[in-house]
Amino acid sequence: MIDTVITALLRETMPDAAVEVYDLTGTMDHLEVFVRTKAFAGVSPLDRHRMVERALAPARADGRIHALQIRTATPEEPHG
Amino acid sequence: MADLHDEIQREIAGNPILVYGKGTKDAPRCGFTLETIQFFNRFGYPFEVVDVLENMPKRQALSEMTDWQTLPKVFIDGQFYGDTDILGPMAESGELATLLEKTFAGSGVSPTIQLR
Repeated sequence: MIDTVITALLRETMPDAAVEVYDLTGTMDHLEVFVRTKAFAGVSPLDRHRMVERALAPARADGRIHALQIRTATPEEPHG
Repeated sequence: MADLHDEIQREIAGNPILVYGKGTKDAPRCGFTLETIQFFNRFGYPFEVVDVLENMPKRQALSEMTDWQTLPKVFIDGQFYGDTDILGPMAESGELATLLEKTFAGSGVSPTIQLR
């Protein structure tokens, strides 16, 4: 399933990442992902998104992810 | 490539709020571009949408300039702000309203609607 793929890809560079994946359209390729990791501490929102996109690039490239909304937080932040 | 960069720099400099997207303001051709148009409609400041859907060289140049692969791409006051994933939380915190007020201060442009 795509949520397992996404979690595995993110944990390659962010091993502690807690990942939630939401299917926005019922087609499993328009997704929202919420990533919580201490790797985001002190990192700007733009760079957090770049980290997530970079990690997920393989699934972007082969079309498994068509559209993606990203929310990010550190373990200390209440929500993304 | 240099020409494209110049063209992009000119567009960014010429529009306080600039959205590079898929489709036009009247006929967006991507859900996220539509969402971004609706997002800025709420603020009531003038903004420009540049359609780059079919312009792959320009999309490539934009991605390289911003280190950001996806559309839409939003520039405010010459600065890159990503998309509504970034701007949504900025709107909630009030940071975006402050930025827009500063951006349009002294321009004689005031928002057509006030939400506060």
